[in-house]
Amino acid sequence: MSIRRYLVLTLVSILTLITFIAAIHGYKASMVRAEKLFEQQLVDFAHIVKGLHHTFDKKGSYLIFDGSQQSVNTAPNFKTSFAFQVWQGHNLVIQSTNSPIKPIISLQHSSTHFREVNFSGQRWRSIYLANEKSNVSNSNAPMEVYDEKLVIIVAQPLDKQFLLAQEVILAAVTPMIIAIILLSLLIYGIITHGLKPLHKLTAALSNKQSNDFTPLTLHVDNTELTHVVTTLNQLFERLNLAFERERHFAADAAHELKTPLSVLKINVHNLAQDLNDKGKNNITNLIKPLSVSVDRMGHVIDQILHLNRTNPEQTYQNQKIVKLKPLLQTVIADLYLSIANKQQTITLNTDDVMLQGDELSLQLMLTNLISNANKYTPKNGEIKVSVKDLSRDEKKLSHNKKTNEKTNEKTNKIVIIIEDSGNGITVEEYHRVFDRFYRVGGDQHDSSVLGCGLGLTIVKHIVDIHRADIVLSQSKSLGGLCVEVLFEQNIERV
Amino acid sequence: MRILLVEDDQGLAEALQQSLEREGFVVDHLSRGKQALTALAVTTHDMVILDLGLPDMDGLDVLKQIRSKINDLPVIILTARDSIDSKVKGLDYGADDYLAKPFDMQELLARLRVIERRLGTASSSMIIIERVVLDTASHKVFLMQPLSVNGPKDKKNDQQYKVEVHFSKKEFMVLKALMENAGRIQSREQIESKLYNWGEEVLSNAVEVHIHKLRKNLPDKFIQNIRGVGYIINRPQTNTLN
Repeated sequence: MSIRRYLVLTLVSILTLITFIAAIHGYKASMVRAEKLFEQQLVDFAHIVKGLHHTFDKKGSYLIFDGSQQSVNTAPNFKTSFAFQVWQGHNLVIQSTNSPIKPIISLQHSSTHFREVNFSGQRWRSIYLANEKSNVSNSNAPMEVYDEKLVIIVAQPLDKQFLLAQEVILAAVTPMIIAIILLSLLIYGIITHGLKPLHKLTAALSNKQSNDFTPLTLHVDNTELTHVVTTLNQLFERLNLAFERERHFAADAAHELKTPLSVLKINVHNLAQDLNDKGKNNITNLIKPLSVSVDRMGHVIDQILHLNRTNPEQTYQNQKIVKLKPLLQTVIADLYLSIANKQQTITLNTDDVMLQGDELSLQLMLTNLISNANKYTPKNGEIKVSVKDLSRDEKKLSHNKKTNEKTNEKTNKIVIIIEDSGNGITVEEYHRVFDRFYRVGGDQHDSSVLGCGLGLTIVKHIVDIHRADIVLSQSKSLGGLCVEVLFEQNIERV
Repeated sequence: MRILLVEDDQGLAEALQQSLEREGFVVDHLSRGKQALTALAVTTHDMVILDLGLPDMDGLDVLKQIRSKINDLPVIILTARDSIDSKVKGLDYGADDYLAKPFDMQELLARLRVIERRLGTASSSMIIIERVVLDTASHKVFLMQPLSVNGPKDKKNDQQYKVEVHFSKKEFMVLKALMENAGRIQSREQIESKLYNWGEEVLSNAVEVHIHKLRKNLPDKFIQNIRGVGYIINRPQTNTLN
């Protein structure tokens, strides 16, 4: 999980959670307060009605109803959700239009109280206000029928109350929800911005090749990352120096060894010529072992250098498009003298195939493989080198299907096959031949063959550098070893 | 032929000098790049053998300066450096040939002879391989007919008589390319590039036709075909070490 995701998600969820808890608490508290407010409102309303009734009573302008007539004095139809009734004794004196004829609350109660009742298909919160004065005054004596009790009942629909309360509370809470959304966006933006230098650093590092030790040219403002970048750059520099030293060591060692070897070689040549001029016979017996040993030393030095140079961890590859046919022709031409010396037949079968890679490494790889075929194949033997473009066959197939659209970029499958008619290698040894200094048969290796057991190790290095595969098997047509090197690459065709 | 040898290793220089003088070359030895440039400004050398690892300046810089002053002076590079990489560079800078240390003396001599023939300073313009004699000066090819059964390696060549074989100009060029590079395979493309100028139309089987004609008139197996690679005339086995 990325840091940004983690921070944004946790922060936003915590923010939302806490805000909601607060909102719920606020809602509950507000509802309680609203209830009280509404009750107070009912009480006030009841008292107003009572006051009004008294006023009308004194003026004597109200009507007295007899029980049979049931005509009631209705209050003017003003727009209110309140319903009210004024009872004098058992007579309904005044009522609102939305109240029933029967008493909303049983008139038997004596004291003032709140109650929830149902009428006209709604649930109402109502107040029962009895004329306490008369109650109190008549508390000592039994209540007389004539002394008519004044009861005022005021009711308000509960859902109306509830809606009103909710509207008020929601109006208070809504800005908080908008605030959460705004805050979330802000948090996302700030975190993204804050992590930008880290993203830049990650991008710069992941773009780097494993053998690229150039310092990071990254501009970061924060102190934390500046430290990281400087430390990284110092590390790169030190690594680079270490690798450079190692590379130079190899080159210097080569120079130091190759020059005296050349002197030795030319002097052997001069000595042979001298002895020849003096008419000495059987000079080859003396000179040949010397010359062979010098060649052998040269070979070992070359191979160790190549091994060093093709080490996947420290090569600076020069990748480009390589034409395989001329490359193979050069390699075979260079090796032809030793092939001709053993009267071997060599054939090359290739089309014009391109490969992306480091030309020098590829040349080295092919030289080692063909030279091996030459060395371990007896006289008059046969060597076959062929290159197959497997992707070309696939292309033909796709052409037949008329789906030949993606010709700009495709996987290039190329296999280079080198077969010989030698003794081959046993299956058990296939994996060991790539080890350093290992030679087939171990100690029993035919030491008359020039070599030091590094050739295939170098080949493996080069194969690895090019992300190719190498497969050993027995040649079907020649009976000896068959080496297949398979390249799979994405090449943009021009 | 007068050769300027620029090599800082005393042992190598002495050994080379000895070898080359035995082969009839006149050798002047210098061990610094600057000395070499000064010397080339006044003296007349036919060619330069240049070591790339010199103590006072980079051998490739020496080569560059030589090229800027004397355009056609043949230069052979010797180096112990990264063998293939600096080869490309050296040839890009205009070196005529390249040898990686440790090299075979035979190899160096063969390359010197190619340059010698090109300059026309060769004591003989003849290239003789087995019974075939190619005269690079008169553009003629001769076949030696043995008088005795001693074989073609008999040193008394004067006793043999030569029969001229007639070839067309292009056929002669093909044969010359192969004989000059005896022992090195020449690919069809390499031979083609020597026969035709830029833009000249090449028939796809032109080289094969020329080779076929040459083979008919030359000894059996003189020109060998390496299938898929090219053609070769083997170098006569005169190496004392083999």
